[in-house]
Amino acid sequence: MDKFTALEPTRLYLSSASATNKRASRAQPISRWIGKLPVDIHLLVLNHLPIPDIPAYARASRATASLSRDEKIWEQRWNDLAITRHALDDTLDDLESKQKPKASTYSPPTIPVDDDFGDFTSAPRTPSVPSLSAAFTTFTFTDASPGKQTFRTRYIRAHSILYKCLAPLQQPPHTVLSALTPLIGTSLLSQARSLRLLSCFLSPRVQPVRNWDILLAALKAATDRFDVSLLTAFDAADSRGDEVMMRQAAHASWEVWPGFGDWEMGKVWAEKREILYEQGRWNPLANFTEENTLDFTPMDEFMASVIRALEQHGTRAVFVFPPAAGVLIGFAERVANEVVGEYIAPLLTRAREISNTLYLTAVAASFREAWKIVDVLTTVSSSFSGKGKDKAEDVVFIMFESNMDEYLDEEIESLKQAFELICKEWARSVPLASHGSPTQAQRTRFLTAQNPALMKRNVLASFTDVLLLPVTIVPRTVGAGVVAVGGAVGGAVGAVGTGMVQGIAMLNPQRWVGGTGSVNNAKEYASFGLGDSEGEAAIFEIGADEEGDTVSIASTNTPATSFAPSTSSTSQTDVAFSASAMKETLAPTGNLDLLLSLDVALQLIHADRDALKRLETFASYPGHYGMRVRETIEEAFCEMLVVLCNRHLEKGFGIATERMDSYKPAEHEETASVAPLLQFFELVHIGDTIQSMVQVFFDKELAPYIDKTDFLNAVVREKKRFENTLDDCVAAGLNAGTQVLMNQVEHIILTLTKPREYYPPEDAPLELGSTQGCTEAIRCLDTHCKLLKGSTSKEVLEVFYQEVGIRLLAILQKHIKRQIISLNGGFQVIADLNAYYTFIASLKVPTITADFSHLKMLGHVFVVEDAKDLAQIVRDVTRYGGAYRPEDIYEFIQRRADWKKIEKTVDKTMYNLSFKEDCIVC
Amino acid sequence: MVHLVTSDNVEFVVEKEVVERSVLIKNMLEDVGESDQSIPLANVSSAVLRKVIEYCEHHRGEPLPSGDADQNQDETRKRTTDISEWDQKFITVDQEMLFEIILAANYLDIKSLLDVGCKTVANMIKGKTPDEIRRLFNIVNDFTPEEEAQIKKENEWAEDR
Repeated sequence: MDKFTALEPTRLYLSSASATNKRASRAQPISRWIGKLPVDIHLLVLNHLPIPDIPAYARASRATASLSRDEKIWEQRWNDLAITRHALDDTLDDLESKQKPKASTYSPPTIPVDDDFGDFTSAPRTPSVPSLSAAFTTFTFTDASPGKQTFRTRYIRAHSILYKCLAPLQQPPHTVLSALTPLIGTSLLSQARSLRLLSCFLSPRVQPVRNWDILLAALKAATDRFDVSLLTAFDAADSRGDEVMMRQAAHASWEVWPGFGDWEMGKVWAEKREILYEQGRWNPLANFTEENTLDFTPMDEFMASVIRALEQHGTRAVFVFPPAAGVLIGFAERVANEVVGEYIAPLLTRAREISNTLYLTAVAASFREAWKIVDVLTTVSSSFSGKGKDKAEDVVFIMFESNMDEYLDEEIESLKQAFELICKEWARSVPLASHGSPTQAQRTRFLTAQNPALMKRNVLASFTDVLLLPVTIVPRTVGAGVVAVGGAVGGAVGAVGTGMVQGIAMLNPQRWVGGTGSVNNAKEYASFGLGDSEGEAAIFEIGADEEGDTVSIASTNTPATSFAPSTSSTSQTDVAFSASAMKETLAPTGNLDLLLSLDVALQLIHADRDALKRLETFASYPGHYGMRVRETIEEAFCEMLVVLCNRHLEKGFGIATERMDSYKPAEHEETASVAPLLQFFELVHIGDTIQSMVQVFFDKELAPYIDKTDFLNAVVREKKRFENTLDDCVAAGLNAGTQVLMNQVEHIILTLTKPREYYPPEDAPLELGSTQGCTEAIRCLDTHCKLLKGSTSKEVLEVFYQEVGIRLLAILQKHIKRQIISLNGGFQVIADLNAYYTFIASLKVPTITADFSHLKMLGHVFVVEDAKDLAQIVRDVTRYGGAYRPEDIYEFIQRRADWKKIEKTVDKTMYNLSFKEDCIVC
Repeated sequence: MVHLVTSDNVEFVVEKEVVERSVLIKNMLEDVGESDQSIPLANVSSAVLRKVIEYCEHHRGEPLPSGDADQNQDETRKRTTDISEWDQKFITVDQEMLFEIILAANYLDIKSLLDVGCKTVANMIKGKTPDEIRRLFNIVNDFTPEEEAQIKKENEWAEDR
C-alpha cells in the first residue's frame, strides 16, 4: 500500500500512516500480497498480460496501479521490442519525426487523440514525475536522475509511435505497403527497418493491441511482398551489375529477414554463380602425366580460376551483403564442396589406383591447393582476418574432412611399408656387397678421414640444411627443377647450394627410388638421358664441394645416373643423382661397416620426413582430425625410431659384437690393427652420426608439435629408448671390443717379445729404446683408442680407457713375471714401462695413470745391484703408493737373472733372517 | 523414492526423477542426500500436491530451465504465450485451486508450472473490467474517484481503441 503514497492528493494525510506501514512491511520482508496472490506472482502475471489490459488492471487498486508501473515489467516489454538488440533506435526516431508533421495530413480517423499521446510520451519527464517517484522509496530504479529514461517511458514512446503505424495494416493486403509508405519512408532500408520494428512490436510477447495476431499476419504478408519486390529489384540490379542497388536491396532484405530459416536472397545469389556449374570444364585426371606421375599444373590452373571467381564474386558479396548474413562464407562453402571437393575426389581415386605413394602426395598437394581458398577469403573480406580466420579455414577443413581418415591410415601404413622396403633392400645388399672388391672395402670412412669430427660436422651441417629447406608439396614440372639447378649453379657452390640440391632430391619420393638404387648398385643403371649442361655443371660442382669436405669421392660417382621418373625433369634427376653420389661416398662399404649404414638411416629419415611434411600440411586441422593428425605425426616419428633402432642399429651392432667375439688374434697377420674392432669403431661413429641426425631431425621437424619436456610423451620416450639402445649397443660392443683389443695386445706382446729381450748378452750394446713388442702393442692400443674419440660419450670413453688400462696392467704384470731379467735388461724393462706409462698418461684417466706410475717404479727393482738396497726397496711399501705389497714385489724380483745369488741377502734383510746369527743349530 | 508430507499430514511417495522437477526439493536432496525421512511441505495441501505431482509426472524427463540468468531471458523471449494442450487441460481448475497451484509451484520452484499458472491468470484478466479484476483477486478498491480517474488517464495510451 505504501507504494502508492506518491499520488499527490492523498499524500498529505496518508504520509504518517504510510510511514508506519512502511516500517511494518519492512519488518516482514516476505513478499506482500495483493488479494489472493503475492506481489511477485502478480508481476509474473503482468508479464503475460496484453498491453490493452493493463489499464484495467491498474485501476483495480492502488497496489495494482503501483505494480503496473513496475520497471521490471516494462524492461521486459522493452526488451521484447528488441529495439536495442537490432539497433533500431534511429528508425524509431525517424518514424517519430515523420509522424509529427504528417499527423494532421494523414489524420487517421481512428485515433483522434493522437496529439495528446504525443505529449504523453514525454509526460513522465515533466516535473510531476520526480515528485511522484520521490515517494517510491522502496524502488531503487526510479528515475533519480531525471535525464535517464525509465523503461516504461521508453516503451510508452515506442508504443505510441508504432501504434500509429498499425492503421494501414487493416487495409486489404495489396494496399498495405502503399498505405504504409507515407509513414515509414521511401528508402528501402528505412522501410525494411520499420517493417522489422513493427513485427517486433506485434509479437506475441508484447501484445500491444487486442487484435495483434491479425495485424501480425497482415504485416507478415506485407513483409513477404516487400521481400519479393526486393528480390526482383536485386535480380534486376545484379543483371545490370548495379552494385549499389544490389547493396540496398540486400541490406533491406536482410533487415526484414525474421532471423530463422534460410535467407533467400543470399542463397539465390550464390546459386546463380556460374562457377558452381562449370565442373565440366576441368578434368581432374589431367594432373597425371602419361607415366602416371603427378603434375599439378592443371590443378593450379583450376584453382586459379576458382580463386578468380571467388575473388570477383567475393568482393562483390562483401560489398553487397551485410557481413552478418555470411553470404560469402556460404558461397565459399559451396564452391569448396561442390567445385573443389568434386574435383579432388576423382583425382584422389585415380591416384589411389595408381599407387599409394602417389595417393599420399596427391592428398597433401590437393589440400595445399585447396588451402588457397582460405587465403583468398582473408584477402577479400576483412572479417576473416584475426579471429574470423577460423571460419574461413573451416570451409576447407570441412570440405577435406572426408579424405582424412583414409589418408591418415594410409600414411602410416605406407610409411611402414617404405621402412620395410628400405630394411629389406639393405638386408639383401649386405651379402651382395660383402664379396665386393677389396679395394672398395678401403673406401671412405670416418676413420680414414683425417678429421672424423669435422667430417661428421659437415655431414650434419648439410643434413640440417636439407631439413631446413622448404618443401615442395605440390609437384610441378618446371618450377622445382629450375630452382634446383639455379640453386646449385647460382648458389656459388656453397654448402647451401649442396644442401639445396640434396634437399630437393631427397624430398621427392620418386627420385628416392632412383637414388636408392644408384647407391647400392650404381653401376647397373644405364644412363638414360644425360642432363643438359647446367645439370652436369651442378654435378661437378657438388663433387668438388664434397672433396672439400674431406670426403674423398674418388671416381665412384661417375658411372651412376638414375632414371628420370618424369621426363621433363632431367636436370632434376641429375641433381638427384649427385646427392646420391654424396651418399655413396658416405655409404660405408666393406665388411663390418655394412652392418650399419648412414645411407639407410638417411633413407629412413627421409621417408619419414616425407610423411611428416605431408602431415604437416594438415597440422592446423582443428578438433578430432587435428588430434588424429598430431597423433599420426607422433606415430610416424616413433615408427621411424623403432625401425631404425630395432631393425638397423641393434642388428648391426649385434653382428659386429658377435664377430668381435669370434675374432682370434693368432689367425691374423697384421698386428697394428684389429680389423673387426676397427670396423666396430667405425660402426660407433656411424651410430653416433645417426643419433645426431635423429636429434637434428627431432629438433627441427618434430619439436613444434610436441612438448619436448614432457617425458611421458610417446615420441620423447621412444627417442630416449632409441638413444639408450644405441648406448647399450655401443657399450656391449665396447665390452667385446676391449676383450678383442686386449687379446690382440697380449698376442702382440707374446709373439714379438724375443726370448732374451730382457736378458741381453752381456756384451750387447745397450740401446735404451722400448722393445719391438712394446712399441707394437702401444701402437695398436693407440690407434684404437684414438679412433673412438669423439664418437661416443665421454663417460663411455673413460670407462673404455680404464678397462684398457686395467687389463694392460694385468697383461704386463703377467708378462714380466714370465721373463728373466738381467741388470742390463732391467733398463730395458724400465724403458718399456716408461713407454707404457706415457701412453696411458695420454689417455688422461687419473686412476690408471697412477697405477702405471707405480708399475714404472717397479721397474727399478731390476736395476738395483746391491741385494741389501734391493731388500730395502722391496720393503718400502710407500714407494708404490700401496699398490704393491712386499710379497708382490718379492715375486717380481724373483725374475731377476741373479736371483739365486742375492736371494739369501734379500731374505735376510727383508725378514731379518740370519741363519748364521740366529740359528742355534749352526 | 522420496517421501513428502503435506500440510494436512498426507504422505506422498514419489519417484526421485519426478519430484526433482521441483528445484527446491532437488537442491534439498542434493544437500541432505537421499534418506527415508520424509520431507515436510508445510505450505502445500494434499489436494494441491496431487495436482503438482500429476504435472511433474507428465513432464518428467524434460530439461529443467537452467539457472543461468542470460539464458533464461533468452528462453522467455523464445517462449510464446501459448499453453500446450495438456497443460491447458491440466490447469482448467477452479480459481481457488489455480491460485493454490501457482503458490505451490512458486514455493516448490517449478518454473514451468508457475509459468503456465501465470499465463492462465493473465488470460483470465484479459478483457475484464477493473471491477471484475478486483473480484478475481479479491481486492478492495481503495481509490478515491479522482485517483482512479488519474490512473485511467495515465494509462490511456495503452488502451486499444
